[in-house]
Amino acid sequence: MKKNLVRAVIALGLVGLAAPSAGCATVRPEQRSILADPVMQFESESPEERQLEHVLENREGSFGGGSVKGGGCGCN
Amino acid sequence: MRPRLSRSVRSRLAGLGGLAAAAVSLLAAPAAAQVVELDLNNASFHEPSTTSQMTVHNPGATLTVLPWDWLTLGVHYEADVVSGASEPVKAGPLSSPDVISQASVTDLRHLVSGSFTLSRKNTSITGSYSYAKEEDYKSQAFAVIAGTEFLQRNTRLELSYARGFDKVCNVAYPPNRDPTVRTPLDSSKGCFTSDAKRQQLDIDIDTFGAAWTQSWTPVFTTQAMLSFGLLHGFLGNPYRGVVIGASGQVAQEHHPENRARFAGTLKAKYYLRGLDMSVGGSFRGYRDTWDILSQTYEIEAERYMLPWLRLLVKGRFYNQTGALFWSDDYTGGEPEYGPRGQYWSGDRELSPLKSYLVGGRVLASWKGTREQRLAGMLLDFSAGASLDVIQTQLEDFTLAGTAPDDTTAFVLGLSVHGGF
Repeated sequence: MKKNLVRAVIALGLVGLAAPSAGCATVRPEQRSILADPVMQFESESPEERQLEHVLENREGSFGGGSVKGGGCGCN
Repeated sequence: MRPRLSRSVRSRLAGLGGLAAAAVSLLAAPAAAQVVELDLNNASFHEPSTTSQMTVHNPGATLTVLPWDWLTLGVHYEADVVSGASEPVKAGPLSSPDVISQASVTDLRHLVSGSFTLSRKNTSITGSYSYAKEEDYKSQAFAVIAGTEFLQRNTRLELSYARGFDKVCNVAYPPNRDPTVRTPLDSSKGCFTSDAKRQQLDIDIDTFGAAWTQSWTPVFTTQAMLSFGLLHGFLGNPYRGVVIGASGQVAQEHHPENRARFAGTLKAKYYLRGLDMSVGGSFRGYRDTWDILSQTYEIEAERYMLPWLRLLVKGRFYNQTGALFWSDDYTGGEPEYGPRGQYWSGDRELSPLKSYLVGGRVLASWKGTREQRLAGMLLDFSAGASLDVIQTQLEDFTLAGTAPDDTTAFVLGLSVHGGF
């Protein structure tokens, strides 16, 4: 228990250190052409990804950890 | 003679007049956006096993309208068309194989949802509602997502909350009936009607989420997500029976009524200029109060093969431990087979397992302009096809001692998008 607490504190500390450093790494608007390209987008909400997630939710025990959607119980 | 209006009535009329004027001016405002997008897609899932032959078709359609820059409206419909077979009774290695039988399964699920997004310069808020219904299950969900961008739009933070109100059909047994003598639901006949042999049980779902997306360099971006969820209600499968006695006694699957889950995901994407290709990776860790601990590792690469054609390849590895109360056979004694506390399950998704996925997608897309539309009407158009193969390795799940063979699945996806 104590070990887990220490790990959680270290993880939070790392995030806390990383967050301010984000300000030092700004990308100027004219440098954003590659970042704006579809191949650099995180596609978790695309129709294909949602449908694949729907399949995996019904085959794995850790379903739905990322979002809540209406859906069946996978009963059948 | 002019009728005299009281001060409060005048004040109300003035207010209504102001609202009407605002509404008229809003409707008459120049439409800066006025874009309509239509997405049609279908995913077909098939397990080519000798026993279950489970096939699911999941067609969907989404219409998105942007009447103004600050407003996006969306409506979505999808269906699940299920056919195949499953084993209604779960037995372990200590039971006779005769216990295992096949029951054909057909089901049809409809889901409709609507959403709106209000956007300002660097902030947005999205609200959505969805409703799904099948013969034995209903669900409603509300969700709200608020996001903001800052540091020259290099940082985006999002907070979300969703609430689900689901209902599942079950046998109308008295609440005080001991779980060991509850029988499984034999069919969906009479569900959500006044049939005295059926009842509906609630499932409440709350999910809180936070996401941080960061652009670090012109070619490197990351996303970190945290999610915390609570489920409460009937969390088992009403159709599934589990052999819980050495004499072959079968009882309806019995799961705890509460489940809290926590997931953290870290994703990264990097653009390789020399290869004109993006590469990405992600790690997801998950833990819940049923003691399922899982890790998911994903990698992907995507590049333009032609200016209008993208190819994506990906791989995924998933590993999970079993639930605290999971046992492949509840009739024996500790340690290998036997009960694990007061609950029992025949759900293979709660057993320890590994899963491997390889997949790919090709996507062709073209862009027009307002002056020069594609085929005279489209601002943009894309069409894609994907194939994913999933292999599941069940480490401690058998059907009366025999490993099931429905562990390979194929998912074929097709999609079309048009912007008008």
